[in-house]
Amino acid sequence: MEFAETLQLMGAGFLNALTPLNLLMMIGGTAMGIIIGCLPGLSAAMGVALTLPLTFTMEPETGLIVLGAIYCGAIFGGSISAILIHTPGTPASAATAIEGYQMTLKGQAGRALATACYSSFWGGLLSCISLYFFAPALAQLALKFMSAEKFWLSIFGLTIIAGVSSKSMVKGLISGALGLLISCIGLDPITGAKRFMFGQSYFAEGVNTTCALIGLFSMSQVFILAEKAIVKRARAAKFSDKIWLNKEDRKLIRPTILRSWIIGNIIGILPGAGASIACFMGYNTSKQFSKHKEDFSHGSIEGVAGSEAANNAVTGGSLIPMLTLGIPGESVTAVLMGGLVIQGLAPGPALFTEHAGMTYTFFAGFVLVQFFMLAIGLLGCRGFAQISRLSDAILIPAVTVLCFVGSYAIHKNMMDIVVMLIFGVIGYLMRKMDLNTAAVVLALILGPIGEKGLRNALRSSGGSIGVLFKSPVSWVLIILSVISIFAPILMAKMEKKSQDNANKGDPVEA
Amino acid sequence: MKKIIALLLALVMVFALAACGEKAPAEETPAEETPAEAPAEETPAEETPAEEAPAAEGWAPDGPVTMIVAYKAGSGTDTTARILTKFAEKYVGQTIVVENVDGGSGSIGWTQLADADPDGMTLGFMNLPNFSSSIVKELGDYTTADFAPICNHVTETSLVIVRADDDRFNTLEDLVAYGKEHDGELIASTNGPQKSNHIGAKAFANSAGFKFIDLPQGGTADELTSLRGKEADFCVAKVADIAGSESEYKILGAFSEERLAAYPDVPTLGELGYYDKWLGSSRCIVAPAGVPEEVLAFYEAAFKATMEDPEYLEAAANFATNFVGAEGTAKMIEEQQVFAESLNEDFWA
Repeated sequence: MEFAETLQLMGAGFLNALTPLNLLMMIGGTAMGIIIGCLPGLSAAMGVALTLPLTFTMEPETGLIVLGAIYCGAIFGGSISAILIHTPGTPASAATAIEGYQMTLKGQAGRALATACYSSFWGGLLSCISLYFFAPALAQLALKFMSAEKFWLSIFGLTIIAGVSSKSMVKGLISGALGLLISCIGLDPITGAKRFMFGQSYFAEGVNTTCALIGLFSMSQVFILAEKAIVKRARAAKFSDKIWLNKEDRKLIRPTILRSWIIGNIIGILPGAGASIACFMGYNTSKQFSKHKEDFSHGSIEGVAGSEAANNAVTGGSLIPMLTLGIPGESVTAVLMGGLVIQGLAPGPALFTEHAGMTYTFFAGFVLVQFFMLAIGLLGCRGFAQISRLSDAILIPAVTVLCFVGSYAIHKNMMDIVVMLIFGVIGYLMRKMDLNTAAVVLALILGPIGEKGLRNALRSSGGSIGVLFKSPVSWVLIILSVISIFAPILMAKMEKKSQDNANKGDPVEA
Repeated sequence: MKKIIALLLALVMVFALAACGEKAPAEETPAEETPAEAPAEETPAEETPAEEAPAAEGWAPDGPVTMIVAYKAGSGTDTTARILTKFAEKYVGQTIVVENVDGGSGSIGWTQLADADPDGMTLGFMNLPNFSSSIVKELGDYTTADFAPICNHVTETSLVIVRADDDRFNTLEDLVAYGKEHDGELIASTNGPQKSNHIGAKAFANSAGFKFIDLPQGGTADELTSLRGKEADFCVAKVADIAGSESEYKILGAFSEERLAAYPDVPTLGELGYYDKWLGSSRCIVAPAGVPEEVLAFYEAAFKATMEDPEYLEAAANFATNFVGAEGTAKMIEEQQVFAESLNEDFWA
């Protein structure tokens, strides 16, 4: 019946996608995406937007495949610089930098890159499953996400601060509060009043997250490297040249990838959330479920896998509401939708009936792109990983240049460099005081979503807070938030107990 | 020795990156991968710029022309601008590079445009009414006098819309009657505080005599999601914003003096006795003030020819191209400025 017909269309999609031109486009698009992604300041959205006009003259499916390839490549590419030089290429890899860079310091850059590549591949590939089979059903989720739900999503996101602040919860909370405070800069989202703008219209749309991210993560890293005596990093003995994971590693990160796939996919579907939130959620979950919690903050492969699988799982998820409902979940899909409309293809059910041939060719291309990403990633990382052997004498000036060029590239505005430097100093001081820069970034991303959500929800109800507890989706998020806050505490207690028990049972070894 | 190597490496990186930085917006990087298809169309045109450009007697640009767009790459203005400039290169005789200078609600780009050399090598898009609001809100220190209008490109008319499955409202009168009966209870999502669609919703409700709660969202996409998710009851959006998803909405009225050709069955607000002037958004092409007359005339003629080009019109089928000459555009900019400044506290109350 109908299902068989759909399967046939899916199969035909693969055949159509396998033309030499399409394959060439996939390779080119993925490679370009990875390069765009690993350069700080050039984001996935920018890469897709700048390529968009070139696709107008192509066949719709070829054009979409190129854009999809750049999207996936860029989300993965961000992890390369995050792991090697503590400079997330895109905000989507902010959480990857936490564990990935620690692994580089331990001489495991190759292993970290392989983990990122492997997890990105699986995250992206698995996200295609929901894209293929559950798109119309999952799309409805996007319409359940209104102001109150957005507020709770941001609260749930903020509970991750508990997870990322491993050393001291209080310091984590201080960092988060600082981030929320900074997120208040700009025009008030409801009344349009100017807040903390210091007379600079530059701040009308708030502090640019990418600038802040580059400053907090990368520039501060430069300051920290620069204050120490220059070390030569080539510890060839410790460097594992193999850019591949052994069997145990793969087994270790398998459950993490599955969890991150589900998280990334759902986050992708929700409007307003995106890969930058998913990576933190994936990271946090990997930590909570990990059997090797002691590895976290010291270079955990599960942490890298959790973050990278989640952000690439967003790609397939975010296409769902865009294609079925015409609701772009994040900036990249908004640009993609513009591309569809220009091609004369209206998002909606017609894409799966009238234009099913084109749609399934695009899906097939999207699946194939994941394989190219894995291949190009693993090949390229062999070269990239050599960066971890460089002496600080080379790294310091090189990363400084990247910071400046990266923040200037966003808007071609000198103010962005000034802001980046300010955040570099803030980041340096914070790290000296053991505060958490990742928590600041997280709060900076989530603050505006939460503020707008809360205030709009209360406006729509005339001030009654009942509106926040009305929908089932809200309750799910509330329960998740509570679990997320108390789980680390409970787990720590349980672990201690079982350890005590074990010690009692076997006093000799203790 | 090591220091020298380090220095050299750093230098190489600077150049490599600087090159990348310039390349990306100039659309050059991706071109390497585009097989012959894309450029093929443009090649014959470049050979014959002199004949095609009618006003090129005295002045013509002698290098790439920069076109400033005050919004992100991929935004509505950016998309339409890139289509226009692609076909305009034939008539201008030079490459036109779209440069996205976003931020500050557009004011960063317009400040940069106002400060650019008035040599005709830098032009830009001025978005009405957001440009006018940015002056009222004092986001930039420019005024309308800092820009020399060339022509109008796109005009989008605002519409009042509700969900297609909302049985309460079938006509604009239904909406007004409900709004008056439940004064202050109807909810409208907007694309941001005091932004174009907020102005539209206010202008409509004020003229109809009811109050509503506005829910400002991050942009038009979120505004429409809010309506479809049943959080809002109605909203004002532009024709292009609902292109492709018309079946999701009922269009109750148009902010126009005459019925729109695309929607002949949709009444204008004026017909029904509400707000009777045009409202919407326009994207005008302007130059920094001080550009010589002949330069303005050259571009006006070149863009006019572009907007009449059948190839362009085919590519631009999805948005409302509306060529208006320099004089008409100047009038539009002034009118919108007067309108934006007239929106006092009583209007927003």
